Amino acid sequence: MQKKAKGKRPVYFNDPQIDKLLGITMALIGEVSVLRERLDTIERIAAAKGLFSLAEIEAYQPDEDTAQAREQLRSEYIARVLRVLQEEVETLNQEK
Amino acid sequence: MTQQFIHPMLPQTTHDELARQNFIQTLKGYIVGQVSPGNKVVYEKVVKPKFEQEHQRSPKDRHEIRRLMQDEPYYQWWSALRRTHQEMMWESVACSVERQLPKLIEQAKDQGNTLGSLSLDPNFKIPAYQTAVDIHCMPGSYHGESTADDVAAGAVYDRGTYIYGMGWLGPLSDDMGDSLVQNYLKQQYPDFHPAKILDMGCAVGHSTLPYVDAYPEAEVHAIDIGAPLLRYGHARAEALGKRVHFSQQNAEQTNFADGSFDLVVSHILLHEIPKPAILKVLRECYRLLAPGGMMLHVEAPLYRDMDAFTAFMYDWETANNNEPFWSGMRDLDLVAVATEAGFAPDQVIQTFVPNGIWRTKTPNKSQTPSFSSRGTWFTFGATK
Repeated sequence: MQKKAKGKRPVYFNDPQIDKLLGITMALIGEVSVLRERLDTIERIAAAKGLFSLAEIEAYQPDEDTAQAREQLRSEYIARVLRVLQEEVETLNQEK
Repeated sequence: MTQQFIHPMLPQTTHDELARQNFIQTLKGYIVGQVSPGNKVVYEKVVKPKFEQEHQRSPKDRHEIRRLMQDEPYYQWWSALRRTHQEMMWESVACSVERQLPKLIEQAKDQGNTLGSLSLDPNFKIPAYQTAVDIHCMPGSYHGESTADDVAAGAVYDRGTYIYGMGWLGPLSDDMGDSLVQNYLKQQYPDFHPAKILDMGCAVGHSTLPYVDAYPEAEVHAIDIGAPLLRYGHARAEALGKRVHFSQQNAEQTNFADGSFDLVVSHILLHEIPKPAILKVLRECYRLLAPGGMMLHVEAPLYRDMDAFTAFMYDWETANNNEPFWSGMRDLDLVAVATEAGFAPDQVIQTFVPNGIWRTKTPNKSQTPSFSSRGTWFTFGATK
């Protein structure tokens, strides 16, 4: 099936690259919503089957090891998403 | 949230496909409800006062307003967001349809001709004005086919337009036909019992089916240029138990005999074709109608019925949503065009018909945020 609609796509921003960036960002925002909905389904099925309840999730307190592992996950995630911002400095450091 | 009626031809969704489509609907609600109104604030508080100070007058029409607004970052972001949303919307449906396309094609074949019929023309020529750009940015447009017996465009259209309008046309997307029948024809012409009805530019027959219910004795025909829409529309009508005769024909020139219909209708067809084609379609309506017959065309309102800023907002569709004829139609003198087509000027109808009849049938459903606040269908027509 054809993916692109025939016809010229308008340019909205002063730099057309921003138009592309918006497309990428919106697709990601959409996929986060899709993931959140899937998680919500899992939580509801689990509650319906008596595996665990939404209240248990809210009341959950991670122990020390879990909290550290999560901190690690978050740090890696943020670094991956914002990778492009670090590259400028890394390039400067490589040149020295 | 109001849900689309799940008929046997409607493409099914996986969990994530549905979540993706849900996101698209919610995003549309946000854009329409939270972002769109800001354009007027920017215009009234910033753009217009600045222009008035410089020129000692207000911007005179939608063209002048557009030239001013297109430099405003707020308008740029809103436009870019709407365009991106439109593309994401088709993608969210197309990927789901593509996954199950072989099954949908088989299902469409299995529906057979038990009630109505389907007649396709293998030598049909799609008019050039429909091939220049893909209308509404739907990839492949309404006539594109990528495989034998393709129904993809119909399936994408059925689901996509529901998401586009956030259900504003009701669970069967039939409000244009249904409201015209219940809120206009049955009210204004209670003794009108058309024996033969034609729906021009029927797409998948969303608006066609209410006429089958409203006039059970009538023979209902529906034409469109898109073969995949017609295959899907025929199978959908059969699955819903409605007798309709679908055929692939251009409304400018059909193969029906003179005077063979009592009622000829179309629903948001005229703004998809250029002015010379509109005239030909109206001439064809005149030829097809029996004496005393009636044509009715449901459309979005004309520019003369709105202020310049509202017209400017409507006009966004022209260049940004591949609607090349959207504005041309809205500037037409319809009485003049209908007269040129053969109708008597005093027989021309221009009216606003209350819409949303489906809401009275499903009173328990909570309302989705409305796609549009307008509560009427602009209807243009004439009696012969």
